[in-house]
This record gives sequence, C-alpha cells and structure tokens, in this order.
Amino acid sequence: MSAPRETLSSLRQLLAERFPVGTTTSAASLATGVPAIDEALGGLPAGAVSEIVCATPSCGGQLLLGALLRAVRRERGRVALVDAGDSFDPQSWPDDWLRHVVWARCPDAATALRATDILARDANFQLVALDLRLADAKELRRTPAPFWYRLQRAVEAGGLVLAVFTPFMTVPSARVRLELNRPHPFAALADPREALAHALAPQVQRQRMNATRAG
Amino acid sequence: MFAVLHVSDFSLQAVLRLERELAGRAVALLDDRLRPPVVVACTREAAQAGVEPGQTAPQAMARCATIQLRTPQPAAEEEAKAGLWAAAFSVSPQVEATAPGVCTLQVGGLAGDRREPALAEALGQLERLGLCATAGLAATPLLALYAARAAERCRCIVPGAEAEFLRDLPLATAEPSAPVAAILAGWGVQTLGDLTALAKADVVQRLGPEGMALWERAAGETTRPLKLIAPPDTFAAELELEHEVETLEPLLFVLRRFIDRLALELRNAGQAAGALTLGLMLSDETCYAREFRLPEPTTKEDVLFRVLHTHLETLHTAATICGVRLECRPARPLERQQGLFESELRDPHGFAETLARVSAVVGPQRVGTPVAEDSHRPDAISLAEPPAVVPAGRSGTGAGWRGPPLRRYRPPRPATVELEGAAPVYVWTPAVAGSVNTRRGPWRGSGEWWDAGRRWQRVEWDVELEGGGVYRLLRTTQGWFLEGEYD
Repeated sequence: MSAPRETLSSLRQLLAERFPVGTTTSAASLATGVPAIDEALGGLPAGAVSEIVCATPSCGGQLLLGALLRAVRRERGRVALVDAGDSFDPQSWPDDWLRHVVWARCPDAATALRATDILARDANFQLVALDLRLADAKELRRTPAPFWYRLQRAVEAGGLVLAVFTPFMTVPSARVRLELNRPHPFAALADPREALAHALAPQVQRQRMNATRAG
Repeated sequence: MFAVLHVSDFSLQAVLRLERELAGRAVALLDDRLRPPVVVACTREAAQAGVEPGQTAPQAMARCATIQLRTPQPAAEEEAKAGLWAAAFSVSPQVEATAPGVCTLQVGGLAGDRREPALAEALGQLERLGLCATAGLAATPLLALYAARAAERCRCIVPGAEAEFLRDLPLATAEPSAPVAAILAGWGVQTLGDLTALAKADVVQRLGPEGMALWERAAGETTRPLKLIAPPDTFAAELELEHEVETLEPLLFVLRRFIDRLALELRNAGQAAGALTLGLMLSDETCYAREFRLPEPTTKEDVLFRVLHTHLETLHTAATICGVRLECRPARPLERQQGLFESELRDPHGFAETLARVSAVVGPQRVGTPVAEDSHRPDAISLAEPPAVVPAGRSGTGAGWRGPPLRRYRPPRPATVELEGAAPVYVWTPAVAGSVNTRRGPWRGSGEWWDAGRRWQRVEWDVELEGGGVYRLLRTTQGWFLEGEYD
C-alpha cells in the first residue's frame, strides 16, 4: 500500500512544481520547530486538517505535540488540546509551555469529536490538537467521513491549524498526513528532549495542494 | 422645547411584546374589572375583522373566531414602562412619566438639529424592545403630546405653526369631559379650531372653569413644569409568567426583551454589564439561580444573550418555570493597555461561550488550563480558568528536560509482571505485552504519610518491551500497573 501512496505523493509534488499557478500550498502555516516537517512542508498548514499517525509505541507523537505547543507559545497564540484518552501529562512539561493551553479531558472519542467541532470554530485558537491515540479503534472507524469534512470546513473559515493524532489512518479530509513509525530506543530517556524533538523524522504520507481560488 | 414619546394602546402592547406567538394575530385586551368584561384595545388584525372597543368577549369572538383574548398584565406593563423610560433617558436626563405609555422629555439642552435624530433613534430602540411608539416635539409639553398622538412616527411643531397644527385636530384630542363634549357637539364644535374660534370669555361664561381649561388646552396655551423621575440605579428585570413555561423558546424570548432593555439602561448610565444573575422561579416553589461572570464588561445584547442561551440549552429543571428574573451587575467599561508581548483574546465573549459549550459536552471541571499543584504526588494537577491575557513566554524553559514525555494512562492499567529477583522481566496487560529488553529502576517514592486518607507509596520502573515501546511500570500496595508510555 505504501508504494502507490508514495508515488501519488511524489506525483502531486511534481505537478505542483511544474504548474505553480494552478496549485499552490496555503501561504499560512505553523512552523513546528521539527526540521523534517518544516523543510518538507513549511510547517502544518493553517485552515486545514493535518493528521499525525502514530503507528508504533514511543514513536514521538507526544514529542511532536510538545513541539507544537511550544511553537504556538512562541507565536503568542492559544492551543486547545482535546484529549480523547485523558492521557496528557502536564507534569512532563514546563509550566510555562502550558499557560496558553486549554485542555479538554474527554472520556471517549465521541465526546472528543464533539468538543473539537466546537473548538475548531473559535477564532481565539491558533491550534486545536485532537489526540485520538487511546481512542477505541472501532469507535474511530465508525466516525462518518462527512464529520471530518465538516471539521475541514470549520477550520478553513477560522484559519486555525487542526492537528489530529491518530493510531492509524483515520482522517479522510486531512490535507497533510504524517506518519511516525520509529519507536524511540530506551537510551532516549537520557537524551535532551529538545534534541529528540529536533530529530523526529515523520514520513509524509499525503500532501494535498490547496487549489488557488480565482479572484 | 419638549418631546413626548407615546405608546398607543400601552397595556395591549405590553402584553404582545412578551408573547412571541401573538405576533401578527388578532388579539383583544379585555378589561376584567368591568362586568361583563369588555374589549378596551385590539390589534389591527382584530379591528379588520370587526372587533371594536366596548364589545364583550362573546361579541368579539363572534366577529373573529381566531381572536386571542388577554387581560392586562401589571408585571408586563411595568416591564414595558421600564423600556419606555430607558428609551426616554437615552434622549434626555430630564424625563417625566406623564401617563402609562407617555413620557415627556425636556430637550432644551439638546442642539436643535440633534433633537429629531435623537427621537428617531429612541423610537428605533423602542421598536427593538417590541414597542411601537410615536414622538412629538413642540414648545410645550401639551403640544408635544398632541403632536405625538397625531404623528405617524415623529412630528415636530415649529414655533409659530401651533395654531395651524391645532386647527384641524378633533375636539377629543383636548379630552373634554363627556357632558361638555355633548354640549359642544350640540353647538357643532368638532375640532379644536372650531372651539378656539369662539371667544374665550364666552366659553368660560357658558361652560365655567372646565370650559376655560378646555379652551386653553385647545389653544395650546397650557404649560407646566415637569415632574422629573430619576434613572434606575439597579439593572434588573423580573416577570411572573402568565403561562408556565416548559420549553426554551418562550423563555429565551422574554430574556431577550430583558437584555435589550437592561443593555440600554446600562448604556444610558455609562456602565456595562460585568456579571449576570439569572433566577428562575419554578412551579414546585423552588428557585434556580445562576451567576455568569463575563470575561469583559459589555453592553452588547447579542453577547449577553448568548451567555444565557448557551447555559439554558443544557439546563433541565425539575418543574416548569413560572417566573424569571435577570439582574446585571454594572461595571466600568474595560480600559486597559496590554504589554507588548502579551497575547489577549481576539473575542473574549466568544471564548467564554466556547468554553461553556465544551464544558457542557465533556463535563464540569474537565476543561481548563493545566496547573501543577504544589505537591510531589504523581499526577497532582488541577484545571484553572484560562487567562484572559497570556503573559510572554520565558526563554530557555525547556532546556533541562530529558527523554520523551510521559503519556499517562488514567487510570493506570493493571499488569501481570514476572520478576527476576525484584526486577521485572515480562509484562502482560490486555493491550501491551512482552519481555522486558531493558529496564531502569527501581525509583521509590512516598508522601503524605501523616494523612491516612491521602498517603501514597510507589515503586517505578522504566522498561523497554521487546516489541518496541518504552513504558513506566508502577508497583503500589494494590499491585503492578502500567502507568504510561514514554512517547
């Protein structure tokens, strides 16, 4: 499955390079501070849904989430963190990184999706992070595709970044899909966290172009 | 110069403005103090069907089968009166409550070219409050009242044009008593001009002091000082509902009326609403009360209404609602200057509403900004209200942190652990299982030993399982648990 997907992604990139007038990426994006993402994509696109698939345990999903929290803090924005598994651990982060965070502790995925639907329409947030990694897989698969397209429409209007952390490919409306699939070794526990975040190397699974609208 | 704001059929309009379902329907107001009760006022739809003041209820129903009959509601009239006063105070601080539905204003302090626009604005405000009014502007209170009654919307009688204005007005405008009106009708006097064409002395000679007062009123000569009223110093609205409310719509309709009026009163006073207190009187004789603190003082009606709407959408009361009260706590409108690197909310009221809606979805005390408690107890965190202004970040705050952060399982997952000596060598949980490749520990912790209810003691291991994944393993007096994943 991965080979055709990569081919498709490279074909899209090739088309974007050849025909820059017809298609272009959105100018606004959130620089994550992770070089592998920022150099490949210019950051996570604003006004779009980005999916981060955390395919293996300890693959760095939480590190990437931390990088996003820090990036928004640097830009003096606000973050809504919708936590479907109530798994975020504030004690694992400096207090100063969390002062702009609104944490919604949800009991299940359905509640988290409803909360996201509300938060994604609030112009006060620059980033809404939806963490579905501990959500029930069956429940996630039951989520109708139109819901994700509705979320896409909501963030398009507000221009915020919606980052969805999932255990497997879930979001059909994602403009960008990244996959983290390399578990950190045990020795990483002793490494500086900033260096670990810096070394994250997610694979770009999808990068849809944002069609330029005439006028 | 004086102005008058006049709400015709005041008692009827007071009832209509609080019952949304009556809009555009044939409605008649019955005076239930009379036996039998008779119609005292009716809507245009009822009048078109042939309903007239003086008819009894059966007569009115015979002419219009769909007519809705109502009786005067003193509470609704009080609320309408407060709205009329608020509109009047928005034009001038010198206001007289002349009669039900009539306010006279001293507008001499207002520049000549601003008087009519100010009155037009007040009429617009009354319209938004559900009251259809007219306005008059003239040199005396009486002339202004006549002008308001004769106006389609707003009429100004410029000095020197009084006689021409009065000439064609019907005699009833000057409100003669019934016997005097009958005598004058016999004389063929039908308009004010007809009356003032007679010599004043002759009228006084035949009709006495009452005739003199009537002639002076007809000539527009009467003037008087206003009995001024004070603007309200509390901003509250209360209504006992005619019919008990079971659904949200009628309640919201009444609350919107309250908010429109209270916001206008606050603006008149140069204040803004800092908090709202909602009280609902229930039919089981209990009362539901709730205070809403606003993120920023405001007089925007839509913002205030949304605060109540969002809360009421999720409210279920044990009994029907028979009364409602709303009070605004006044506050000075916000004036502040932010620091250069502080970030404030783009839309503070929208933010508060969003949080309230999310809180309604995920549950109370489940949304907020995480704050670490002053304790060594693991997972000792609480949620605080998100700050209106986020202070600038400190540089270098993340420099000393090592390893991937923990993703915590709440509650910790019970685990079956095989040991070699005291060290774990195999871990099994329904979700994760495997041999332990590498381990680090034990890390022992305990605290609050002085409090039997909160005492804690634990041993932690960091382990890497053979399938990949670095976890925190935890042993307490209850057994082994997988506390989280380093991610």
